[in-house]
Amino acid sequence: MDHLETGRLGEALAERFFRDRGWTVLGRNVRVRGGEIDLVAMDGPELVVVEVRTRSIGKILPAEETVGPRKLKSLVRSGRIYVEKCRWKGPWRIDLLGINLDEEGHPHFSYLPDITVGRVQD
Amino acid sequence: MGPILGVTLKGIEAVPIDIEVEITGGLFVISVVGLPDAAVREARERVRAALRSNGIQLRGRIALNLAPADLPKVGSLLDLPMAVGLAMESGAVRVGETALFLGELAMDGRLRTTKGAVPAALLARKMGIPLFLPPGNAGEVALVKGVKAFAPPDLGSLLAHLRGESRVPPVTGSGSETEDAAVEPDLADIKGQAAAKRALEIAAAGHHNILLVGSPGSGKTLLARALRGILPPLSDEERLETLLVKSTLGIPAKPDRTRPYRVVHHTASAIALCGGGTTLRPGEISLAHRGVLFLDEFPEFHRDLLEALRQPLEDGIITVSRASGSVTYPARVLLVCACNPCPCGYWGDPVEPCRCSAHTLEKYRNRLSGPILDRIDLHVSVPRLTPEELVCLEGRQGPSSREIREKVTAARKIQQERWKAHGFGCNAEVPERLVRSGLCLSRKVRPFLAEAVRGLRISGRGISRVLKVARTIADLRGDLEVSVEDVCEALAYRGGGESR
Repeated sequence: MDHLETGRLGEALAERFFRDRGWTVLGRNVRVRGGEIDLVAMDGPELVVVEVRTRSIGKILPAEETVGPRKLKSLVRSGRIYVEKCRWKGPWRIDLLGINLDEEGHPHFSYLPDITVGRVQD
Repeated sequence: MGPILGVTLKGIEAVPIDIEVEITGGLFVISVVGLPDAAVREARERVRAALRSNGIQLRGRIALNLAPADLPKVGSLLDLPMAVGLAMESGAVRVGETALFLGELAMDGRLRTTKGAVPAALLARKMGIPLFLPPGNAGEVALVKGVKAFAPPDLGSLLAHLRGESRVPPVTGSGSETEDAAVEPDLADIKGQAAAKRALEIAAAGHHNILLVGSPGSGKTLLARALRGILPPLSDEERLETLLVKSTLGIPAKPDRTRPYRVVHHTASAIALCGGGTTLRPGEISLAHRGVLFLDEFPEFHRDLLEALRQPLEDGIITVSRASGSVTYPARVLLVCACNPCPCGYWGDPVEPCRCSAHTLEKYRNRLSGPILDRIDLHVSVPRLTPEELVCLEGRQGPSSREIREKVTAARKIQQERWKAHGFGCNAEVPERLVRSGLCLSRKVRPFLAEAVRGLRISGRGISRVLKVARTIADLRGDLEVSVEDVCEALAYRGGGESR
């Protein structure tokens, strides 16, 4: 299983993960100018841009720790463009779902809501 | 004005701050406007975490405005009103009645003790609105009468209270006061020094400034420490004034009515003594308000420092003006100074010879400026004890601090009655223009005083000061009339100054 397959498996797992939480998934792999959003969903009144990170066993860092400041910045940018494009006026946020696969291929979820915690400025 | 108010401190006064919140759609961002300092800006992290631990998830673009916009907001005491404002705007609670909120938030929603509770309570009382504050500040606020204060332990119980789900009991002013602690050393335990003890008694009774001059080891510092034990207890009003100053610095209140006693080392800076600094805080002279400011090794203090004390000693207030604004702090202190008679310390000692040259002696004396000495009513020399006195085994000498304190308290009561109409509490506070009206001199005093003024060359202010001390001496006796003997004794305490 190469890393692209791992990624696709992760996104499928993520979609199920959020559906189970009662969210409405709006889209997967949404392309926006200059980037891609792994998953867009509605959590009640709030729109959520989700970054899914999947890693198979053997990697040094757990999946959720591979998002650095640069990725965060591009997520905020992509999110803003998406929200603008679909004319969403309500609140939105960025969540991160880390999926670590163990030796048998079982996923371990590590869900981090609202990764910008109000610190991003214009 | 909105329903949610916080405060920021301006000197010892609390200024109401209107908290306005706007939440719109967008990526979750909290921005705080209205000249917040670093502590206020950082409040958003604490507020967000505290709200979340109470089940309130903030979302969208959040703008917090702290009005008036041009007044700088300082400190963590705005955490709570910001949290309540956010809770209300996100629909978790409704605040109908305008209220004042004060407190720092822990991440889990507990309320931490902050400074500024007493000024805030006075403001709440003036505005006639309830005050919500941390439980750690309840004790001091209980002393402010007529304020409706509540001290919820955490944000959760405050929100429940505002929703009307469960009530937080109001703060009541009971049981927080303890008997005044006995002070070591007791005057009766100090050997000899009857004259100095008498002078301390007068100083305590009339709140007169006092200078103790004596050789090394003669007991100046010990006597000054013993003064604490004979000062009359603080009245309710005075206690509130001392609390007010302490509260602006976040110093916890004492549970009893003993007066403040601040010892200042001679390396202190002018700002430490008089107040100031970038955030404008009160100095030692204000912390000693209604109590004692003790300057040991008086001539070692920087000249500028002593000169800076002149005006507050006269007016009982100190106005600190800086680029960031000017504030007035109370500074009604009983100044106690101790010094050696000369650099080597043995000038005038019956046994040890003084080794100072006339020049060094002159230089030392010049360090004590005339104007500052003129503001000290009682000049007392504290001689070294004779060998006989030193080996005296008899335990106690003279009345105990407790007995003297009772006498002093009685004398202070007489003074309060006398000057009540003018709003003064003791003889030393009374301004020159009023002194002569309330003195009640015996008929023999006037001719005697005229003679003394001629002989001793006393200034106008000097006469007023002598008469005030004489009035206190008569009060200690419980006498309505000031006798010639009282004036005589008062004159005897008048050293240095311009008369020499």
